[in-house]
Amino acid sequence: MNLDVLIASAVDGLLIGFVYGVAAMGLTLIFGVMDVINLAHGPLIAIGMFGVYEIFTYVGMNPYLALIIVAVVGLAVGVLVYFVAVHRVIDAPPLSSLLSTFSVNMMIIGVGTAILTTSAYNVDFSLPSLDTGPITVTGTRLAAALIAVGVTALLYAFLYRTRSGKYIRAVANNRQAAELMGIPSTRILALAFGIGTMLAMTAGGLIATILPINILAGGTYELKSFVIVVLGGLGNPLGALVGGLILGLIEGLVPVFMKTTWVPVLEFGLFILILLVMPQGLFGRKES
Amino acid sequence: MALLEVKDLTSGYGELQILWGMNLEVEQGKLTALVGSNGAGKTTLLRAIVGQLFPWQGTVTFDGRDVSKLRPYTKAELGLIMVPEGRQLFTDMTVQENLEMGATPKHSRIHMDRNLAKVFDLFPRLRERAKQTAGTMSGGEQQMLAVARGIMSEPKILIIDELSLGLAPVLTLDLFQALRRLQREEGTTILLVEQNVRMALKVSDYAYVVSEGKVDFHGPSSEVENNPAVREAYLGI
Ligand SMILES: Nc1ncnc2c1ncn2[C@@H]1O[C@H](COP(=O)(O)OP(=O)(O)O)[C@@H](O)[C@H]1O
Ligand SMILES: [Mg+2]
Repeated sequence: MNLDVLIASAVDGLLIGFVYGVAAMGLTLIFGVMDVINLAHGPLIAIGMFGVYEIFTYVGMNPYLALIIVAVVGLAVGVLVYFVAVHRVIDAPPLSSLLSTFSVNMMIIGVGTAILTTSAYNVDFSLPSLDTGPITVTGTRLAAALIAVGVTALLYAFLYRTRSGKYIRAVANNRQAAELMGIPSTRILALAFGIGTMLAMTAGGLIATILPINILAGGTYELKSFVIVVLGGLGNPLGALVGGLILGLIEGLVPVFMKTTWVPVLEFGLFILILLVMPQGLFGRKES
Repeated sequence: MALLEVKDLTSGYGELQILWGMNLEVEQGKLTALVGSNGAGKTTLLRAIVGQLFPWQGTVTFDGRDVSKLRPYTKAELGLIMVPEGRQLFTDMTVQENLEMGATPKHSRIHMDRNLAKVFDLFPRLRERAKQTAGTMSGGEQQMLAVARGIMSEPKILIIDELSLGLAPVLTLDLFQALRRLQREEGTTILLVEQNVRMALKVSDYAYVVSEGKVDFHGPSSEVENNPAVREAYLGI
């Protein structure tokens, strides 16, 4: 086996890992703020994929511009899903929100399959690749990783520098106290769900610029997000990014040594191992 | 007319009734104390006042307006602010951020810098700790922060549940003095729930004694202090 192949695979894996990280941040943000595990995460990722696909294919817009539209729509979709499916069960036992977000999942998948079938689609777009001697990096993959890093930076700037962002952290930390200070918790929860959805759909849109997509593909990334979130610590967005990189690296490197079918086996093996030996994840979880 | 008026209030948890017709008036600009033994229903009353619990019957009137059915964040916007039992800080956020979160009501947000200077003046320790994560401070510092966060909201009435619980006597005295200053200098109305009955009666203008979800006795604090029943039950004399 040669070193170049190893490095190239590692880089490829790491680059997509950033995108996995963004998807997982969406899941972990929602959990961290409202203790809801969003089982509609995968289908929302798929909506992001097809958002970019449809705008690119039928409007002819540059996919990265399309991504901005998808992100904004994602915020609106998330707020809508919050008020329709999450708000009324926000204080109910966890099973209720699992069921209601799973219902949203089934509805999106049902409508999506009816319209799009389950066949694969491709965003027919490419960027010049970056050739650095030993390794060649696909342009779209590099762009996706850079955008993912930018999105993470924006998320942190929002959460730590703006009043609305601080409200989200305050509500996550202690919702009752936040209400006592005059923070309108319902609006803030809806906003947090909106941003979580925005992250999921943005990740989906980025994936569409790199890989073939289908309406069920979101499910795969949802499962990856779960592994990543457990790896990085529930409710910890930066942990999610690092978890994403680790998962991307596994995905890049494993196929060099064994059959690709081993990838999920190892990923979920790691998932169980982490749950057993360090249930707080690598970087700790929020107190609850 | 009283700034805050509670009339025939009943409430509780699920089926369990705790408040059995509470009546209370808090005068504008006064420091009113609410004392009573553990489990008397003081915290429950405050929760019903701020809207964390819904009143079953009766009304809560604030600033001439029936606020019985409003959510806590709407009441905060109106200037009804509670420093809850157990502090309930944003433990993962810094001291400074906790104070910023206090300045959420619109009328207080525009004065945030001025109010920051004010609470730092009142509690110099908090200025030193501004960048520290709130959850890592000592109990006394956390209680200062909880009170300071409440002051940041520019409350018309500041309701404080168990100011001195678990604090060293020196610190308790500091906090009481800070409240006194706030009341004198800013004219802030204060409703104070206290375990330390002796101290509460010393600093307050008016006092309510509650037991088993009802007001037992009320009057000017000096009178309550000299009431034989109160002396026996709460002051151990
Ligand atoms: N969340 C709750 N659920 C059920 N009962 C409660 C709850 N909180 C307090 N109680 C009960 O209500 C009564 C009054 O409690 P509380 O209002 O906290 O009293 P105080 O603040 O005067 O010590 C107590 O008997 C207590 O056990
Ligand atoms: Mg109490």
